[in-house]
Amino acid sequence: MRAMVDVSRRAFLGTLGIAGAFAGGGAAGAALGLWGSPSPAAAGGSSAQRIPFRGPHQAGITTPAQDRLVFSAFDVNAAAFDQLRAVLDRWTEAAEAMTAGRPVGPGDDDPAAPPSDTGEALGLPPSRLTITIGYGPSLFAHPALRPRRPAALKPLPPFPGDRLDPLRSGGDIAVQACADDPQVAFHAVRNLARIGRGVVTTRWVQLGFGRTSSTTADQQTPRNLMGFKDGTRNIRADETEALDRYVWIGTESDQPWLVGGTFLVVRRIRMLIEAWDRDSLQDQEQVIGRFKVSGAPLTGRDEFDPPDFSATCGGEPVIPRDAHIRLASAEENDGVRMLRRGYSFTDGMDGTTGELDAGLFFISFHKDPEIFVSIQRKLATSDALREYLVHTGSGLYVCPPGLKGGQTWGAQLFG
Amino acid sequence: MSRRRRHFVAGNFPPAARIGALAAVFPLLLVGCASKEQKEQVGESSEARTVEVTVTTEGCRPEPAKVSAGLVRFHVTNQGAAAVNEVELLAGKRILGEKENLAPGLSGEFTLRLEPGTYTLYCPNAETQRTDFTVTGTTAASSSAGAAEATTTYHDYVVAEARELLEETERFADSVRRGDVAAARELYGEARWHYEAIEPVAESFGDLDPAIDARADDVADPAQWTGFHRIEKALWADGSLAGMTPVADRLVADVRRLVDLITTQRYQPAQIANGAVELLDEIGRTKVTGEEERYSHTDLVDIDANLNGAKEAYEAIRPLLVRKNADLAQTIDQRFESALAALAPYARGESWVAYTEVDTAGRRAIAQHVDAVAEPLSQVAALVG
Repeated sequence: MRAMVDVSRRAFLGTLGIAGAFAGGGAAGAALGLWGSPSPAAAGGSSAQRIPFRGPHQAGITTPAQDRLVFSAFDVNAAAFDQLRAVLDRWTEAAEAMTAGRPVGPGDDDPAAPPSDTGEALGLPPSRLTITIGYGPSLFAHPALRPRRPAALKPLPPFPGDRLDPLRSGGDIAVQACADDPQVAFHAVRNLARIGRGVVTTRWVQLGFGRTSSTTADQQTPRNLMGFKDGTRNIRADETEALDRYVWIGTESDQPWLVGGTFLVVRRIRMLIEAWDRDSLQDQEQVIGRFKVSGAPLTGRDEFDPPDFSATCGGEPVIPRDAHIRLASAEENDGVRMLRRGYSFTDGMDGTTGELDAGLFFISFHKDPEIFVSIQRKLATSDALREYLVHTGSGLYVCPPGLKGGQTWGAQLFG
Repeated sequence: MSRRRRHFVAGNFPPAARIGALAAVFPLLLVGCASKEQKEQVGESSEARTVEVTVTTEGCRPEPAKVSAGLVRFHVTNQGAAAVNEVELLAGKRILGEKENLAPGLSGEFTLRLEPGTYTLYCPNAETQRTDFTVTGTTAASSSAGAAEATTTYHDYVVAEARELLEETERFADSVRRGDVAAARELYGEARWHYEAIEPVAESFGDLDPAIDARADDVADPAQWTGFHRIEKALWADGSLAGMTPVADRLVADVRRLVDLITTQRYQPAQIANGAVELLDEIGRTKVTGEEERYSHTDLVDIDANLNGAKEAYEAIRPLLVRKNADLAQTIDQRFESALAALAPYARGESWVAYTEVDTAGRRAIAQHVDAVAEPLSQVAALVG
């Protein structure tokens, strides 16, 4: 039955050429769901799909998680601050073109000048590219932006066990580019960096090779590099009430221009893979609180069975007190939930130890960064998993709401 | 005309030829399918026209007295004029090329790339000292006075730097021959600066740049390694100048040949613009990493020279750019200023701190400032060409 639907949707898409017809995140999610598979091969038809650039919220937050990530943080050169607005305006134009599958620039290149688009995405479909922008606390240190700063935007506090690399943390501006084709995502960040050259400089970049979260109910839950399903209890795109409650900045904000926006937290979490791989299956499952293969909680049989944190066996809780899913759960955190959108990464090898430098590039979105801080404080002190993790990079940014027709990021930020 | 960065001499590259010399060289050749007419205007070495200049006591007589623009070879023969021993080609008062020590009965030659205009053949002490010489045709450069001025300004800068390079290299070589390590270490950077300020010009001569400036890993056969960096290794890594005299002799000879070649070169505005970008690319490729001066750690000397050389090239074409896009010129002005300011903290009197004292963040800042200039600068060639 599913196969039949599958074929007809593909045919439909094929006829249209692109899926621009699926305007709006919800409709796009529904259409995607009919394919039923998140893998790039199976999503072949969807690579032609275009995610609308404008809307009430920025794309790339509740958009069904794409397979690849390129994240880049930029710093603004103080001496060129007066040109930032112009750069953001040009970024808006370029981002709108690239997410639509069009090259950057007018397309009438002078053979004697460098081409306006770098070219590696020519001929590639939009690949569901989204470009999401966020602004770090340091950006609002400038007098011109000080009045625009939300009080909640301040650097994350240090957490126990952090080993943060300043060259992999912070930044005035964050750009999250997600696409089903890594080349499309890389092209986006590269061209923005080029446009901004001289005004903004790249502070750090992180590539993510595989999504570790699903943001719609119909996307299969992927596995992280520990081999466990991750994000089973994520907030989904269709949970509008939960989104309004935990993710979108509302009218309670001290900055009306940010209503409809959200706070973005990123953490580069290195997994000590070699140590993890030496751990017994049973212990791994105790550390996480789920069965490895099925993804079910230790108190259930199916992945989506709700965990029973009160269940005991011989006087001890079945899901241990320090199990990851318990400490991160809504039940243990006053009902608070998170929207996660992380990616597995590897940067090759640790030059000192020869061990793999790999892990989770954690990404989450919150109405208030305190949500993250309170949960992370708990995890950093009690989580059984912390023995296998080192946080090596960190960032907090505020993402403005989506752009209205004709609006630019420059106009939105400076007001 | 060419606006791309290409060789203009299709020279034979020895195995030692550096990637830099092969891949990204000062532009002079045409883009692939230029018309024959265009080729004649720019002129390739193989298409040089020969003008026979006969020197007599009456004066000098060019045959023909009129050629089309491009590469022109002047073959000069002194037919017994004892009083005249020199011939110069002048543009106004400026000497473009000359043949000296031309005793009666002797002949010689010099080659120039000439743009359309009226020139003067000058034979001092002849009865008629000045004879007109005409170059016809139109080139992009000749269509505006500003372009000709840019060409002249940059030519003069390059020639002046080349002459200083030769002087400093001779002083450096003398200290090497004397085995004076301390003096040679002092003089090394002085000579290097003048080379790095005009490096893309040197690279356009194919085999000369590798001979003068190859690093250890650029050469296939270590025994064939010559030039500045061979002596740099002797000075800083080996601490001994033993066996370096032939290398110093060869270095002076190569630099002298370079200076001779440079004197006859003319660059169109777009080539100057691309050359400026090329100088900045040099910084990112080998200087900012500390690879270039790996023994002496004088990389800041090179970076300063590359940056200043690029700025001089840009200044030469700036008036042309202002007419096309004054905003772009202003952006580039500011960014050159910021880039030079980014180096300032490392200055120590007339020189620089060792590059080992520049930490990762400092190196990144330098690279970012250089990129910030190079990006808008890369737009200039298309506007002034």
